[in-house]
Amino acid sequence: MNSVSKSQFTALLMITDLFGLFCCGGMISLMTLYGFLAAAAVQYLFGVVFSVRGGELSKKVKWLYLVYVVFCGGTLFSALWQTSSVIYIPYESSHGIWGRLMTAGLIAAVCLYSSSTGIKTVARAAVIVGALGAACLLIDFASAVFNAEWHNVQLPEKRSFISEFVRGFAYSSGLGSFAVLLGDVRGERIKAVTGYFAVKAAAAVIVLLTVLSVAGGIMPLADFPVITAAQLSQPLDAQRIDSLFLVVFVVFAVFSVSLQVMTGAYIISELFPRFTKWRSTAVIALTVAAAVVMPSQPLVLLRAAAAAAAMAAAPLCAKKTAA
Amino acid sequence: MKQSGLLPVLDESIDEIKRISGGSSDLLINRFVTGGVHCALLCCEGMVSTSVITEMIFEPVTDIPQQDSASELFHYISEELLLSTDRPEVTDYDELFRYVDSGFAVLIAEGMEKGLAFGVQGYSSRGVQEPSGEGNIMGAHEGFTETVRTNMSQIRRRLKSPELVMELMVKGEKSFTDICLCYMKDRVPKKLMAQIRSSLEDIRLEAILSTGHIRPFVENSSFEVFSSTGITERPDVLCSKLIEGRVAVLVDGVPYAIVIPRLFCESFQTLDDYAFKPYYATFIRWLKYLAFIIAVLLPSFYVAIVMYHPELLNSTLFMLLVEAEKKAPLSIVTEAMFVLLMYEVIREAGVRLPKPVGGAVSIISGLIIGDAAVNSGLVSTPLLTMTALSVLGGLVVPDLNPQVTILRFAFVIAGGMLGLFGISLLACAVLVNICATEDYGFPYTAPLSPFRRKGMSDTAVRCGIKKLQDRGFTVEEYHE
Repeated sequence: MNSVSKSQFTALLMITDLFGLFCCGGMISLMTLYGFLAAAAVQYLFGVVFSVRGGELSKKVKWLYLVYVVFCGGTLFSALWQTSSVIYIPYESSHGIWGRLMTAGLIAAVCLYSSSTGIKTVARAAVIVGALGAACLLIDFASAVFNAEWHNVQLPEKRSFISEFVRGFAYSSGLGSFAVLLGDVRGERIKAVTGYFAVKAAAAVIVLLTVLSVAGGIMPLADFPVITAAQLSQPLDAQRIDSLFLVVFVVFAVFSVSLQVMTGAYIISELFPRFTKWRSTAVIALTVAAAVVMPSQPLVLLRAAAAAAAMAAAPLCAKKTAA
Repeated sequence: MKQSGLLPVLDESIDEIKRISGGSSDLLINRFVTGGVHCALLCCEGMVSTSVITEMIFEPVTDIPQQDSASELFHYISEELLLSTDRPEVTDYDELFRYVDSGFAVLIAEGMEKGLAFGVQGYSSRGVQEPSGEGNIMGAHEGFTETVRTNMSQIRRRLKSPELVMELMVKGEKSFTDICLCYMKDRVPKKLMAQIRSSLEDIRLEAILSTGHIRPFVENSSFEVFSSTGITERPDVLCSKLIEGRVAVLVDGVPYAIVIPRLFCESFQTLDDYAFKPYYATFIRWLKYLAFIIAVLLPSFYVAIVMYHPELLNSTLFMLLVEAEKKAPLSIVTEAMFVLLMYEVIREAGVRLPKPVGGAVSIISGLIIGDAAVNSGLVSTPLLTMTALSVLGGLVVPDLNPQVTILRFAFVIAGGMLGLFGISLLACAVLVNICATEDYGFPYTAPLSPFRRKGMSDTAVRCGIKKLQDRGFTVEEYHE
């Protein structure tokens, strides 16, 4: 696999994490922010241990990651379908299951093309997408600063710290790719790990504070608070800018799925070196199939457990290399 | 064609030349005797300067004193007469025809298996004129011409450094086109030069008549929307690229040079940027970025928002569009495609037709068809405005016009079918394609991605010349 720079590595994973956050359902409170930050801190510790110890992933761990990335890809597709009621995608709602499959098919086609160009290309594109996403996020945040009702931030918490901590793990879809791609990062890995988790924590703070300040008052009515906040947070009086968010949302969706597909294809290439063609296609097919059979619930506990297993497997089961 | 030396018997050699040329009328064979040796001077009609050949060849050659043999005659001509600055020896008929067809006069003599060629080219060619496609206000007004040697001299005049190397080679199995590889030997990476030479080795074309015949050989073979090699018709621009460590390929008969490698951001840079104050140059640069985005996306966003996302418009704008579109008989996508196609037809007609008629086409299309289409209600005014703005935006970045044209259509179709969702999906695919564009390890999207902070001083903004001078940039910085 071609090597990627630290900023590209961070951009790839951040896009996936932010897309997960966009699709985050249920109420959000200040405790959610604490939970997400605590989850990021724990993940960081595991990441540091893995980057310091180094070593190669064993065959069993690779299998685990393959299953995990397919599962994560499935949850991403599933989240996209569930959010389609609030993010308007033509044909999706009106054509039922066929509309959904068509949406998934189109995204899969773009992902297939992206992954066929290689990780280096997608990583380059991810930096540009990440920069555009960050700019949009800042516009959203800036407009929230002026239009927000800051007392909403202090609204009473409905969930415990533990449940928010679990949710923080559940919405970290990039952990499998993190462990697999870390070995291909140029330069000091520990810096890459620190950079990624620092950006992840900062993004969580910005997004969740924006959501709390803008949509805090109507939180019980919002199915997807981040999307609702983006729709409510309008910086201009005469013109809505939701279109910006819709574009960012779809682009993030494509890159998130592409990352899972590329990671899956990479693992397959290591597990089955003779399987050279159709690797990406196989992973995409498995991902869409996983999304189709997946129940419509967010599966928070299962996702958190899978993420925790993926995070712990890398440092605990890595084989020490002779070098 | 024979590959061995020339025939020593003059009559047989002339017969052989006539046989190879098929009795072509433009091959002139002048037989004469000088120094007691039977000779023939061969040249191609229209390719040599009559006055030069008379003054520099005929007059001195016919005054040669008696010689003992043909080889002594050739020795005398080579050593004692300075007939021209370019005097290669001809050893076979392949070479002989290549020189004759390139405007040389070739002297052959009885008993000699070789000939002497003299550079007396004098074919009519277009003089140095202002470039037609790369407009410039403050810079030089000289462009390349169709003659490769004139172009080489234009570069040499601007870069009087011994580090500037120009390698001539011949390509094209039938055309024998002169190709010149230009580079600064202290700036260009050696690996890049070796790779380009190796790519050019693969050319087995019969004729090279445009830069388009060579570009596929020096570009990545995978599908790329944007070209990873550039084109310029300005010697000053080419010199600036050479100083940055790039390689240029000049092709005889083509007033354009190929620049390798090319970056996306270079399409938005002009030499004028460096003539204006940095703040104005930066403003112009951002205007071009905006124009490019408008050129590609404006019609598709209009179609997508009007068809699928009207809630994004404020009420006044929404009512205005509803009022305009309800009179139009066609769907918005069809309408947009129709207007864009009409524009392309008119543009193509304007380009291909003679200039006076081309002007008439513009008037007929712009004033009559455009006005009639709006008045008859066939096309709505807002859509026409959006399309015109988009087309104007495309003209700001002429380098990318082919790509802009195709992408504009593709985005209109995507927006018409799937709204902003479709536009976003296509944008992802296009972005990935742009990021995949890479030649010889130089990513097309540098310095944006892979990000090079130093490179942003001449990409996001245009820093002062003093700062740029300190930077000492070469394209090698972007190599991955």
